[in-house]
This record gives sequence, structure tokens and C-alpha cells, in this order.
Amino acid sequence: MTRYLARRLAFAAFLVFAVSSASLILTRLGEGDYVSGSLGIEARRETAAQARARYGLDKSIGEQYRTWLGRAVRFDFGNSLLYDRPVRDLVPERAANTAILAASALAIATLVGLPLGVVAGSRRGVVSGAIRSTSIVVLSLPPLLTSLVLVFVAARTGWFPIAGIRSAAVAPGGETLDFLHHLILPACALALPLAAVFERLQAQSMGEVIGEPFVLAALARGVTRRRIVWRDALKPALRPVTAIYGLVIGTLLSGSFAVEVTTSWPGLGNLMLDALRARDVYLVAGCAGAGAVFLACGTLVSDVALAMVDPRARE
Amino acid sequence: MIAAKKLADVPRPLHRIARLSKFACKIAWYGRVARFFKGSDSWPEGQLLTGHLRDLWTLGRLAALLCLASACGRATPPPPARTSSSSAIHAGGELVVSVRTEPRSFNRLAARDSPSDLVATLTQARLVRINKKTQDVEPWLAERWTASEDGRRVTLSLRQGVTFSDGHPFTADDVLFTFEAAYDSRVASVLADSLQVGGRKLEIAAPDPHTIAITFPTPFAPGVRLLDNVPILPRHKLEPALRNGTFASAWGLSTPPSEIVGLGPFVLAEYQPGQRLVFVRNPRYWRTAPDGTKLPYLDRVIVDVVSDQNAELLRLAAGQLDVTNGEMPSESYATVKRAADGGRVKIFDLGVAMEADSLWFNLKPGAFATDPRARWLQRDELRRAISMAVDRQAFADTVFLGAGEPVYGPETPANQKWYWTGTPKTPHDPAGAKALLATIGLTDHDGDGLLEYATGAPARFSILTQKGRPRLERGAAVVRDELKKIGVTVDVVAFDGAALFDRIGSAKYDAIYFRASRTDTDPAITPDFWFSSGTAHLWNIAEPKPATDWEARIDELMTRQVASLDEAERKRLFDEVQRIFIEHAPVLYFAAPRVIVATSSRVVNATPAVTLSPLMWSPDTLAVVH
Amino acid sequence: MHENRVSRLGTALVAAALAASLGAPLLAPHRADQRFAGLLNAPPTRPRLVDADGSVHAPFIYGWRLSNRLEQRYEEDRSRRIPLEWWTGGAVVRSSDETSAPLLLLGADSFGRDVFSRLIFGGRTSLALAAVAALSAVILGGLLGGIAGYLGGTVDEGLMRATDFIMVLPATYVALALRAVLPLVLPAGVVFALLASIFALLGAPFIARGVRAIVRSERRLDYASAAQALGASDVRLLLLHLLPATRGFIAVELTMLVPAFIVAEATLSYVGLGFPDPVASWGTMLHDAANVSVFADFPWLLSPAAAMFLVVLGLNLLLQGPSFSRHVRLPM
Repeated sequence: MTRYLARRLAFAAFLVFAVSSASLILTRLGEGDYVSGSLGIEARRETAAQARARYGLDKSIGEQYRTWLGRAVRFDFGNSLLYDRPVRDLVPERAANTAILAASALAIATLVGLPLGVVAGSRRGVVSGAIRSTSIVVLSLPPLLTSLVLVFVAARTGWFPIAGIRSAAVAPGGETLDFLHHLILPACALALPLAAVFERLQAQSMGEVIGEPFVLAALARGVTRRRIVWRDALKPALRPVTAIYGLVIGTLLSGSFAVEVTTSWPGLGNLMLDALRARDVYLVAGCAGAGAVFLACGTLVSDVALAMVDPRARE
Repeated sequence: MIAAKKLADVPRPLHRIARLSKFACKIAWYGRVARFFKGSDSWPEGQLLTGHLRDLWTLGRLAALLCLASACGRATPPPPARTSSSSAIHAGGELVVSVRTEPRSFNRLAARDSPSDLVATLTQARLVRINKKTQDVEPWLAERWTASEDGRRVTLSLRQGVTFSDGHPFTADDVLFTFEAAYDSRVASVLADSLQVGGRKLEIAAPDPHTIAITFPTPFAPGVRLLDNVPILPRHKLEPALRNGTFASAWGLSTPPSEIVGLGPFVLAEYQPGQRLVFVRNPRYWRTAPDGTKLPYLDRVIVDVVSDQNAELLRLAAGQLDVTNGEMPSESYATVKRAADGGRVKIFDLGVAMEADSLWFNLKPGAFATDPRARWLQRDELRRAISMAVDRQAFADTVFLGAGEPVYGPETPANQKWYWTGTPKTPHDPAGAKALLATIGLTDHDGDGLLEYATGAPARFSILTQKGRPRLERGAAVVRDELKKIGVTVDVVAFDGAALFDRIGSAKYDAIYFRASRTDTDPAITPDFWFSSGTAHLWNIAEPKPATDWEARIDELMTRQVASLDEAERKRLFDEVQRIFIEHAPVLYFAAPRVIVATSSRVVNATPAVTLSPLMWSPDTLAVVH
Repeated sequence: MHENRVSRLGTALVAAALAASLGAPLLAPHRADQRFAGLLNAPPTRPRLVDADGSVHAPFIYGWRLSNRLEQRYEEDRSRRIPLEWWTGGAVVRSSDETSAPLLLLGADSFGRDVFSRLIFGGRTSLALAAVAALSAVILGGLLGGIAGYLGGTVDEGLMRATDFIMVLPATYVALALRAVLPLVLPAGVVFALLASIFALLGAPFIARGVRAIVRSERRLDYASAAQALGASDVRLLLLHLLPATRGFIAVELTMLVPAFIVAEATLSYVGLGFPDPVASWGTMLHDAANVSVFADFPWLLSPAAAMFLVVLGLNLLLQGPSFSRHVRLPM
């Protein structure tokens, strides 16, 4: 087990480097660079050249990559061109915000989506149809639209703050509550499509498992319906969801950018978008690396959970 | 065990009752839940719900209706719409401003994005200030100044008794230091280019601690107008950074707020990364209102970073935001108007903007060397034909939803001082456009409705524009459709900002549709656009020598215009420049929007003006009702 | 039976979407990029049978008159009845006065283009792209996941790590780099092929992971060993016995991938890798409609969302409906 974990961790580290390098190179290959974006059209050629020299953008891709790699192995990921702060400080700060958002969204989605999926998969009729329709509505809406609808509702009702992570004036001691108050909207916006995905997968899988002979056998033995649904059939039915749970964790990070932009949540998604727009190569590499870290953790969690849930897959 | 013993101590009858009641509850609970879980198989067809579930269903519907009703209703009751009819302006209160992105630095010499500029306006002060409403130069840190006869020397007297926000006195040394930092090559300041005349630096000298003498390399008519750009930075705080060459990264975002010292109306109190900046009143601010009240009126200014335009709009309409740092796009007007009707928002219509969005072609000689289209793509006649083919009024109606006016030249009537009133208004004449195109060889040879060159190559080119800016994308689409009517095919390709600028800088394009705004109304302050050697000479950047004789003529006229000290002569020369410009049309203009800004109803004494920062250009005179 | 009705509803919806897409040139009254200059954000024109006086006529519409241009408010011009024309001008139905009072069944967008026509033409593009991409993703991911789950060991690990890499690399960077090397003006066909391949690559990892998990556990079941004992080759076992067990999972994934791809097309067009402007697509229509003023004032611009919902619902019912009928129903 420990060897397996060690191997996975080693690969995770390699993945982080691979993705950061790929992002750096791809962004350099793209048209335009930080200097052309920040100085605009009117800059003199000399000023632009000076700025490029200062940021190291005048070197060839290979050279810049080698310099970056040399520093990266010492955990120095360079200075963000956009914010002029070390990437090492900037990215974890924002990643923490996104992690909190993602964790709460995941919790909400699991708590809402899984039970609904079980209910929808184990019965027929209005309830199941209603749940299924709601899921499909949420799934077919683009995340941009979902978050916008929620922000709109928040604006109309005034129940939730519209944007940001913290209010300007907070009574001392009430900061956590204020933070939670701000967290609800983005977390729900992020959780809704996820809950729909979980619900659909769970319902599908549940429906299949209930068709298995062992369920009929249990019924014949007199086990109550409730116990069958929530205990015996649930465990094998959780298989597909646990398989993608880790993926979901990993992609929550990059997939959250629509929500973060609409609700001005200062997280990694927002940062990635700004970095891409500004062609800030070091920040882009840092953000991609952070995304890889999350994915690696996610897949690890997923594989471990899968092994726990389904003993057959344990080898 | 212990519990059982305890239970045994309870008198017997109660014991039995307790057990019985527990059993009853169990049965009732199971019964109820079992009924709830009954599947649809046992329900009769068409009757999906039993008795109490029907009640639940009704309750649920009522609840949903209630939620819907409250959601559709008004937001939390809006604060009573206070009108600013009272003439007395009360000091105190806080103002919330929104910006779209974070500032890149607190050092104005190192960053040129508009949030950084806002921070500089709030915390720093300049030698002189251009009043954006009247476009006149006002004394600011410099009380008065005299210019020499030949226009090459200006002597400014600095205000006495002024201190920085930390108490350190302000002297001419700080001015010298600021200019030194701006010109330093290690700093490569973004302001360096704008502080040069004819490509050469100014000479600054300080004969005494309260006098500054500036010598321009060549006679410069606008004079001190140039100094509006430069915030005066404290020498005592930043000199060490300049000496060891780290000035460019000094006062970055990780600087503790107490280090940011300035002469402006506010002081940075707190910076929450990614969210907001909080500024508080500078108690040592030197300016007072005409009636003697100490400025600024506001106690606090909160700059919120709101990355999404929708969220910004919603917050403004809900009264959670007071001012947005930028203009309002025409598409948002309907929402804001509704809020204004509800009394939560005030709308200011400031008239037509200073310049229109521009369409220009790549006129660099040899840019289309091997391309067969070179024979017609760079010709004057093509551009004049386009100018005739586009219906400008329809353009204004489509792109700006009617809140726009046709524009025929580089200046608009908003620039009252410099606009050439004799600007010819090109009529909308598609037939004339086609005839003009025929003179350069573009005719419809094969009768398919599309123009081709004599060789058979179709009349087709691409217009690049910036993605994500609806105004630009709409404008380019309108141009494309109008040109289709005369048989010219246009491909509109949208790029994101950095890629677009890259292409412009390296001259890899056919045509660009973009908004390149100029910083000042006086053309002498924006020479880079007019002179052929300028870096903002969009259609042919930084020419070593003028490529055409009309550009040479404009160069000559502009040189005289910059140096002449006679205002009437300057106007005459610039009118001629505009005439030549419109005749050869290197850049085409179609329509300019009417500038509309909105503030919450709390804001009083707003002085909106047509400039990059319509409301926040004068933060010390803003006040709120409270 | 209930299940058949459900899956028949699904089939009907999907068939309707297909029919609308194929018959787009006939069904749509206008071209996708045809602009009506004076009708920006105009509300839908309702076909009527009864006019203000109460007399019945052949179906007609009232034109829109601009009452406030800046606020984009319109009022009906009741003075003139504009009858509808059928089977003329290459369309099923049109207004008889196309220049000043066109038939706008779902209103007009912010450029003045007919939303209904753009919906149908855009459906063609988006649905074709999503279908091709989703199917490719399923095939690619299914094969990868099946092989990984079946063989196990190093092959399994290697394939899963590869999918990890693909998943974590943001597609926008790849699109950005691609845009730099591609020529300036891309014909729609090239963009279609590019987007389909990128989406197939993006969607495959999710499918691969789920398929792998299912195949791994199914592999140990009795029927698999029985088939092997009977002499089935690995390929036959995988393709005919194990992969079909993933049908349910793939069905669900398909219904999730299709809307995701439609929306992703709009995201990629932000970095420049999108369809050229005259080509409509649901993704860009929704992206343009993601605006606060739309919710309050111009809700018809959200019709692609409704259309997407119907298509996804139909797909879901179609793919998942039949699976219920074979199950033991839980007796109550």
C-alpha cells in the first residue's frame, strides 16, 4: 500500500511539472506576450525591448524554459509579471479560496445529489420524473448562466451578497459568519451542475443494481425496502460515482472559473483567466501546476475510495 | 446497565406508560414513513397522492409561490431616494467605487492600467491639474507659473506649507526626484514617453526649495499641460529604491499600506488581495473648498474589484455600489434606467465622446509585398469608398442603440477647442463608392454581385478586432454588412487583447477596428499619433521618414503647431491637419457614442466629465448623503 | 407501458431536433446572419388569427414600432395587419413584408438577427459538433478504459496517467497555441474538425475512468470467466461482453457531454478558435445572452437554453428509458 502511494505521489509530482511546463510553452507559443498586452500599442520599440529584457521574455522558448525549470526544482516558480509578486505566494493564497469553494460545493452536491439520485433510481413516477427533469435542466444550462441566474436572484431578493468574499465593514468576531454568507451563492452555483451529474449517475446505477437478483432475493427474505435501497443496493451502486469523484475534484478547480468570474470570488479560476489574458507565463504555469495538484489528490482519493467501496477492484 | 437500573428506580406505572408510548411512537413513525415510501404501483391510476401527502403537496406549492413572489418582488426596500437638492454638502461618509481588475502596482510610474491610475489619483497629487470639465489647466501643487517669451522655459512656484501624508514637508526635491525616476532607464517607466517633447527629455532644475524651472528642448506651446500626467512621489520614501535600481518594483502590491505616502486626498488603509482597497481621508491634505471646508469631503473610499460586468450592474442598481470607474455601455442602459426611475440611481448624459472607434488599414510600404491585393488594399480610394459606403446614422443606431452621433474625422464636437467646424460630412453614397472602386480596378467582372480585381482575385480582406468588447464586435459586423452591399467581402476575426496588439505592433494585418483613445484633447500632447515617426501612428508605426507626401505635410504642420505660441495660429494649423487627414483618410471614423454615466442616488456634487475616469477624476470634491 | 411512453417521448424530442436541423433552410424564415437594422432586441411577433376588432383572418402579425431606441422598447403597430405567406421564398412561412415587419417567432437579438432562424441553424452546427465529438469521445474513452480495465497492471497505470495529463491541461492554452500557428481566416469546416477533435480528447478521460472501473469489476464475474473458458479471445470478451456492461454509464455520460461541448465551443471561441461570425451556434448565442438585462427585459434570447434542455432531455429519455424495462420492479 505504501509503495503504491509512493508511486502515485511520485507521479503526481511529475504530472505537476509536466503540466506547468506544457502551459508555459503553450502560452509562449501563443500570439502576443505580457509586454505587448501591458504596454499597448503606443510603446516605443526600445521601451518594449527593455521591458522584455527585464522580464526575460526576449529569450527563446527553450532558454526561458530551462531557466524556469532550473529555478522550479528549488521551488522558486518565478515572479508573476502581472502582480509582481512571487508565484509561490500568490497561487496558494488564491488556491485556498478556491479549495474552500470547491470543498463546500462538493459537500453540497454530494449531500443533495446522491440521495436524490438514490430516490430517483429506486422508484418510478412523478417524484422520479421531477428529479430527473430538474437534473436535466441544470445539466443543460451552461455554468455561466446558472451562476448568473443565482446572482440575479440574490440581487432581487437581497438575501445574499452579490459579489466578493468579504464585506467591507465587518463587526469583529463576525468574520466567519460574513464569509459563510458570501460563500453560499458561489458554492451553490458550483454545486448545482455537480449535484445534477451525481444524481444522474447515481440514479442510473441504482436502477441497474435494483434489477439484480440479489435484491429480489433480499426482498423474498423479508428485508424492508428501505434497508435494501439505502444499505444493500447503495454500496455497489456507488461505484460509478466514486470512479469519477476524484475527477470531479480535479476539474472543479478549472471548471469553477465561470462561477468565480460572475461572483467575483478571488480564487484560482479568476487568477487563471487574468493570467491567460495578460499572457503572464509564470503565473499561468503556476496555476496549471496548482490544478494538477488538485487533480492528483482527486484521483488518489478516487482510487482509494473505489478500492474501499468495491472490494473486487482492490488488487 | 446503569441506565436500566436507573429506569428500574422509576415508579412502575410510569415505566409502563413510557414503554407504551415509545412503542406507539415507533408504530406511528414507521407507519407514516412506510406510507410515504409507498411506490406508485399501489396508487390508483390517476390519483398520485394520498390524503396527507396532498396536504404536503399543497403546502409545497404555497411555499414555492411565496418564494417566487418574494423573489420577483423588489429587493430589500431601497434607501429613500434622497435628492441632492440641498445646497450644503455634508462632509463624511463613504463611497464605494468598482473597478474591473486589480491594480497592477501602487507605483504610477510602473503601471498604466486604469485601476492603478485611480489609486494614483486618490493618493497622489500633481503639479498642475487639467479640469476635465472645462479642459483648462488649474494650479494644483504649483500655485502659479510664468512662461518665458520663447515658450521654452516655465517657472513654477510651489505651494508652501504642504506636507505628505506622513508629515514630511513637500519641496522641489520631490519634483526633481520624480522626474529623475521617470527618466531613469533602469526603471523604463511607462510615463517616460509622455514626458518627452520631440523625443527629448525636459530639463528640470530647482533654484530654491519652492520653485521649479522646466526647460523644454524645443518651444512647446501647451507648456505645463504636460505635467498633468505625473504624480509627485516622495523622495524620502523611494530614493533608496531608485539608487539600487529596484524602483520599478517598488511600491508593488505587497507593500504595507503605511509605506504608501502621498500628497493626495486619501491614504491607503487596507488592501485585501483580489477583493478591495480601502482608502481613508488624508488629514494633511492641503486643499480646501471655496467656502473654506477642508477637503476631501468623504471619510472613506472603498475600491471594490468586481470582475463581472453583470455583477457590477446589479450592485449599482441595488444601491450597493456608488460609482463605476468607467463608462456604461449602451446595452446596460435599460437596466440602469429602471433603477433610476426607482430613485436609486442618477444618470448623467454627457454628450458625445471625445473620439470614435477607428478603422484603419495597414499602410506600411511593402507589407503586402507578394500579396496580389497590394495593388488596391493600400489605396486612398478604397478607404474613401468605404467612408461613402457606410451609412453612419444606421451605424450609430445599431452599434450604440441610437445613443451615438455620426463622426467624420479624428476629432468630435466634444473637443470644443480643437474640432474643425468645417469638417465635411461624407454623404452615404453606395453608388459613388462603387464608382470610386471601379477607378482602382475593382469591378464586378463576372456578374455575381461581388467585386474582383482585373486578375480575377476577389475583393476580400480581413478586419481584426478585440474579442469580448461588444461595441467593437458590433461595429466591425456593421462595417462588414455595409461593405457586402457594394460587393466587398470582409472577414471579421476577433482576437484577445495581447494577440491583437502583437499583430498591430508587427504590422501583420489587413485592417483593424479598434478604440485607441488619446489621453488629452490638445493634439500637441499626443504627438505620437499625428507625427509619422510616432509610435501611435497606427497605420504605419514609427516611420523612419514619411512614406507619403501628405504625411510629410502633416508632420510639418504639426511641428509648427506644437511650437507656435499663438493660439489662433495653432487652431488654424490643426484645422488644416484635420482637412488633410480626412482627405486621405488613413483612419476611418463612423460614429461616436454619447457618454452616459450613472451613480447611486447617494452621491452629491459629482462632476462628471468626458474622460477616461468620468467621475473619479476629482475625488476630493465628491460627497455623499448620509 | 410507462417506460415505453417515456422512451418514445425521448425519441420524439431527438427526432424533432434532427428534423429541425436538417430542414433548417426550409424552416427558418431568414438567414442566420441577416440583420434587421431597426429591430434590435425586438420581442417575438405573435401570429394571430383574430384582430383588434374581433374579426377572424388568415394568420397574420403586427409589426413592431420603436418607442424608445436606447431602452429598446417596442410597441405593436396595430394599424397594419401583415398576413403571413406560406411556402414562398424558400421557406415554410414568412411575413409578407419582410423589410419592415419580418416574422420574428422568437424575437431578435442585439444585432437585430432573427433568433428563431439562428436557433435552427445554430442547432445544426452545435448539435452536429456535440454529437460527433461525444461519439468520438465515447469510442476513444471506451476503448482506452476497456483496455486499461481489462489488462490491469502497468498498461492500466500508464493509460490512466496519460488521461490524467490530458484532463488537467487546460484546453484554452492548447487552443491559444493552435490559434497562433493556424492561418488567419479558418473556414467553418476546418474549425468544426478542430473543435470536434479537441472535444473528443477532452471528453475521453472521463469516459475512460468510468469504463475502466466497471470493466475491472465485471471482469471477475462468472459470465466473463465462462466466456473465457469457452475460448473467447480477449478482444471478443472485451468488446462483446464487458464493454456492453458500461452501457448505462456511457448513456449518462453522453447526456452530460453534449451540453458541456456546446458550451465549451463558446469558451474556446474566446481565445479565437471559434466559428466565423456568420455561423450561428448555441454556445455563442448563450454566451451573448448571459447578461443581466436579458433576464429582465429580453428573455427570448435565452431560447437556446430551452432548446438545449429539450434536446438533452430527449437524449436522456431515449438512452435511459429502455434500461428500466428490463429491471425487476421493487414491489411495495
